[in-house]
Amino acid sequence: MRCVWAFSEGFMEGFRGFGENMSALVNSILLSAVYLLGVGMTSLYMRLKGKKFLEMDKGKRGQSHWVELNLGGKGLDDHYKMF
Amino acid sequence: MHVLGISCYYHDSAAALIRDGELVAAAEEERFTRVKHDTSFPKNAIEYCLKEAGISASELDYVSFYEKPFVKFERVISQHMQCFPRSYKTFLKSMPSWLRQKLRIQSTIRKTGFNGDILFVEHHMSHAAGSFLMSPFEKAAILTVDGVGEWSTTTYGVGEGTSIRLMKEIRFPHSLGLLYSTITAYLGFSVNNSEYKVMGLSAYGETDPEKNRYYRMLKEVVDIADDGSFFMDMDYFKYHYADRMPSDKLCALLGGEPRSPDSELKERHKDIAAAVQIITEEAMTKMITHLYNVTKCDNLVVGGGVALNSVFNGKILGSTPFKRVWIQPAAGDAGASIGVAAYSWFTLLGHKRSSYQKTAYLGPEYSREQVKEFLDSKGISYSEFKSKDELVEKTAKLIFEDNVVGWFQGRMEWGPRALGSRSILSNPCNPKMQEILNLKVKHREKFRPFAPVVTVEDAPTYFECDMPIPEPTDYMLMVYPIKRKWRERIPAVTHVDGSGRLQTVRREQNPMYYDVIRKFGALSGIPILINTSFNIRGEPIVCKPHDAYRCMMGTGIDCLAMSDFLIFRKDNPSHMWDSESTAKD
Repeated sequence: MRCVWAFSEGFMEGFRGFGENMSALVNSILLSAVYLLGVGMTSLYMRLKGKKFLEMDKGKRGQSHWVELNLGGKGLDDHYKMF
Repeated sequence: MHVLGISCYYHDSAAALIRDGELVAAAEEERFTRVKHDTSFPKNAIEYCLKEAGISASELDYVSFYEKPFVKFERVISQHMQCFPRSYKTFLKSMPSWLRQKLRIQSTIRKTGFNGDILFVEHHMSHAAGSFLMSPFEKAAILTVDGVGEWSTTTYGVGEGTSIRLMKEIRFPHSLGLLYSTITAYLGFSVNNSEYKVMGLSAYGETDPEKNRYYRMLKEVVDIADDGSFFMDMDYFKYHYADRMPSDKLCALLGGEPRSPDSELKERHKDIAAAVQIITEEAMTKMITHLYNVTKCDNLVVGGGVALNSVFNGKILGSTPFKRVWIQPAAGDAGASIGVAAYSWFTLLGHKRSSYQKTAYLGPEYSREQVKEFLDSKGISYSEFKSKDELVEKTAKLIFEDNVVGWFQGRMEWGPRALGSRSILSNPCNPKMQEILNLKVKHREKFRPFAPVVTVEDAPTYFECDMPIPEPTDYMLMVYPIKRKWRERIPAVTHVDGSGRLQTVRREQNPMYYDVIRKFGALSGIPILINTSFNIRGEPIVCKPHDAYRCMMGTGIDCLAMSDFLIFRKDNPSHMWDSESTAKD
């Protein structure tokens, strides 16, 4: 009886580990697809259109790098949103 | 009314609770879970805050979160768009936590039992509020500088009454905090954990910018304009698309591969540390001076993780036009939990400010009965003192006799520093004490200095500090030179450049701690102690009696003064263990 119990415990643990590995594998495949198709295609299209997502051009030495923000003064309603 | 502020998921998760405008409780999650810089949802810290207020989650009126998750997600996706396909690995690594946790923060908060309104405030606004709304100033200029929030890495503005307006920003990837972290990583230290070690190391390097060649090299990397704004050449960095921070180009510029942890620190490492400190101070000084010119305000508050750079903080009033400064004790992301709660209460809900944050003792405390129950249940040998005065006398005498004393009294501190509630105290006059503490107790690198604690009345005698003494010194946020004639008398707290990161204590803040310092002064002639955090390297500061006892028994701490009890390590040999083998960053 003890052997059966030990076996079933080990089996459940192994099965759980297998499930986690499968989940990680499936996630990786899905995320890779999203990365290549979603992020990749959008990125390439935007590059063709000359759009930049991060300001990294080096030409502005010596000039002010402050950017207008004007944050504040919003009401309570604006803070229910996660964006 | 109760407002709970929460910060989590990046580093230093924390919770803070404001009741009718008063800060009732605040704590970092790491102290409860014993995982340093714990990033997880702070359920233990929340539980503590609710318990301290005597309410349940369902009785909260508002819960506020310290940033706008979707705006941050937009920035992260923008990084991947910009850096495709180099960012593939980090995309795979980071997306699961975004999809499972970070974008679902509302449902996580609901699981605590709270069903009311959840508010979201921008990250840098949370930092700004944590400093301005908790400060004594009716009006102040505000500067926030950190790694990155949603898009902002640096902002400035002005606060008046309960309103805050952040006027300008510098946007990711240009970040003073991430620059400092990149150099921290290059020098072989852990990021978001050991930046203060680089700060301490910088004093060993060449501090004259004319003579420090690494300063000239870093000026190629960072362009600092006259108004303090800065722009970084991202060819030298990889953090915007990879797990590693310095790029190969930066490594080549600085003369080699990053230093591996625990390998020997050479002169060039010290000079590089000095260079990044000089660059940071240069940018901060110019920013703050520009801020003064824009706002014409005499008061300044600073927030964000870079505000923990106490070496620079000690220079603010001397090198900029501002007359007064206040900094949130937990200026990093943990402090944003106080900021978001305060912003919600005062700014969004329109309540007036009537006081300010005068203490960092906001965590849990343990009663005499609870401590006694712990000691008795473990069969620990101890002495009991009938009066606090007797315990104070005895502690001062033990320290004078070169014992290392663990001090566990009152409410736990808020913020990264131990301030006399969960502290290790020892004799600064003993020239061997720095070595004893570094090797036997803290298991730290040899170059790291220890910090002095002094009463606010005695501070001007021993330190070249700004007068009147700024309140941030109460929270060990300012480094000042120790007056030359005292340096040889207190060698254990005098850093290589003659400075000390002092804590000043006022009697009304912590009477027992104040009295220990005074009694020690009466015995030794020097009313200064070493105050270092009560923890083993790699672990958070102790929280519970069990943590304190365990720390003592695993290190060279001689005795522990906990509530009304004194416990000697040598009296309890059966519980000893060696922490050195497990000590790590």
